[in-house]
Amino acid sequence: MAEPAIALTDVRFRWKSDLPEVLNIADFRVPAGQRIFLQGASGSGKTTLLNLLGGVTSPQSGRIRIADTDLTALGAAARDRLRADRIGFVFQQFNLVPYLSLIENVTLPCRFSSARRSRVALGLEDEARRLLTHMQLDVDVLDGRPVTELSVGQQQRVAAARALIGQPELIIADEPTSSIDADARAAFLELLFDEAKVTGATVLFVSHDSGLRDHFDQTVALSDINHAA
Amino acid sequence: MAIVSLALKSLLNRRATAILTVLAIALSVLLLLGVEKIRTEARASFANTISGTDLIVGARSGGTQLLLYSVFRIGNATNNISWASYRRISELPDVAWAVPLSLGDSHRGFRVVGTTTDYFKHYRYGRKQALEMDDGAVFDDLFDAVIGADVAAALDYQIGDAIVVAHGLGAEGFSKHDDKPFRVSGIIARTGTPVDRSVHVSLRAIEAIHVDWKSGARVPGLQKTADEVRAMDLQPAQITAAMIGLKSRFATFSVQRWVNEYRREPLLAILPGVALQELWDLMGTAEAALSAITIAVVATGLLGMLIMLLAGLGERRREMAILRSVGARPRHIFALLVAEAAALTCTGALLGLGLLYLALLIAQPIVGAEFGLHLNIGPPTGRDLGLLGAVIGAGLLAGIVPAWRAARQALTDGMVVRV
Repeated sequence: MAEPAIALTDVRFRWKSDLPEVLNIADFRVPAGQRIFLQGASGSGKTTLLNLLGGVTSPQSGRIRIADTDLTALGAAARDRLRADRIGFVFQQFNLVPYLSLIENVTLPCRFSSARRSRVALGLEDEARRLLTHMQLDVDVLDGRPVTELSVGQQQRVAAARALIGQPELIIADEPTSSIDADARAAFLELLFDEAKVTGATVLFVSHDSGLRDHFDQTVALSDINHAA
Repeated sequence: MAIVSLALKSLLNRRATAILTVLAIALSVLLLLGVEKIRTEARASFANTISGTDLIVGARSGGTQLLLYSVFRIGNATNNISWASYRRISELPDVAWAVPLSLGDSHRGFRVVGTTTDYFKHYRYGRKQALEMDDGAVFDDLFDAVIGADVAAALDYQIGDAIVVAHGLGAEGFSKHDDKPFRVSGIIARTGTPVDRSVHVSLRAIEAIHVDWKSGARVPGLQKTADEVRAMDLQPAQITAAMIGLKSRFATFSVQRWVNEYRREPLLAILPGVALQELWDLMGTAEAALSAITIAVVATGLLGMLIMLLAGLGERRREMAILRSVGARPRHIFALLVAEAAALTCTGALLGLGLLYLALLIAQPIVGAEFGLHLNIGPPTGRDLGLLGAVIGAGLLAGIVPAWRAARQALTDGMVVRV
């Protein structure tokens, strides 16, 4: 069997030694190439888990593997590089850098990762245009306007294009659809999945909204895997 | 480079505050370089007041005092030197020329200098420039006067105008030599030196207007008309000071020693260049205070930048979180803020330099006409570049403060900011 895209073993995390444990995950695996729905209410440790997966914070104990790499064995700089090279993130809102153009926001990860830059066969800008067009954004109309003037739904699709550029092997989306209306949610997911399928990327989708679970290969409740009190 | 282009775009996005910050830095740099420029030009102009004169001889007093009254025409001589001593000095084998100066009278606030036509031949200023006549000629008749450019401009005198010399330097109309008026025979082209503010007459004329005076007052019954004095022997008994030119500069110290050791009369000989330097050093405190103020203004400009960058950090937490999520390391965040500080300071410094040249172009004719100070417009000096470098260096150092804070904040915030 292929190596899982994400594997957590006996991961424990607390912010400070005198504060209660936030996460205690004995075993959590995401098979490569799958679309996983991780359901969790706010305050269930979602944000902490994302920061751990991104390598922005480290657990006090346990192992976190991203594909073949043990994240917990790496230093901060190597974790930052791994995040840049191999993971695309989409967040709930405020995904865009206000002073960059539409295209520049999409190509932003390539400024920090030569690996992702080198995986773009076309020119960077052409690839950004292709992804944005695929996300059903009219680049010719929207580019040149400040990105802060885009609607929330449009901003989320720009963020998805950014997460996808340079074909990272893992896409992590944190409540990306909770700010947009129900009709647009399903469409957003379809577009995201379409593009992920082309590159074979694993998708970890974190949300409190169980209405979306039918779109995924597998659903996991965070409360089932997190044994923190 | 990626971070620099991010920094520039980020600043452009905040143009209003960025422009104000750049302006504050530019104005402070303008002041810093402007004061430096005026200081060096004033110093050069000051040092150029008299050149080509090897020694100045006067009655024994302080060297600075002798320089002030003989060259700058400020203050008074406490004593005169006798004509006999002057003759002896001028006949020394090493002395090429000697120009006597007789001071003590004034015309409407401008000093009157009694001298000989040699004055116009030997007086040099700046880079050994000689005096030139703007109009008319040097004095020929006993009652001819040659006036400086400032005198002509301030009193609107033309060639041929009559002027009355007042006795002493006190208030106007107190005691005038009004029975013996002078005629303007020449106007000297502007020099930027105290010559511009002087009225020059012949040494004999100074004698002539004083023949019927004693101890500062007209002697009743002894009055002589202008025509009567023309017939008299007007050999002066005393002069105030003398400018000396030597045949060889190597003789300077031996002639100076000869004068200072002269037994018949207490005399003092000074080297103008040395005395000028000493006088300028007296103003060192004012110079230092001025420099301290300009440095404080630059610090204020940079503080403005610090305030702008620090104040912006709060609302930029999300932006930093996005950058972190796409792989930016804390050192990238640090570099971003330092690059912003560098861009602001460099733009401010260059704009300040540009403003300096603009200000010089505007001020050059005005300062030249009003103060006789020629502002030289040339490429930035090594010192200017050093100051600009210091400002930019200080700006970068200041940028470390917000940069460090932003990097720390980004580290604790992670990728998700709940604001």
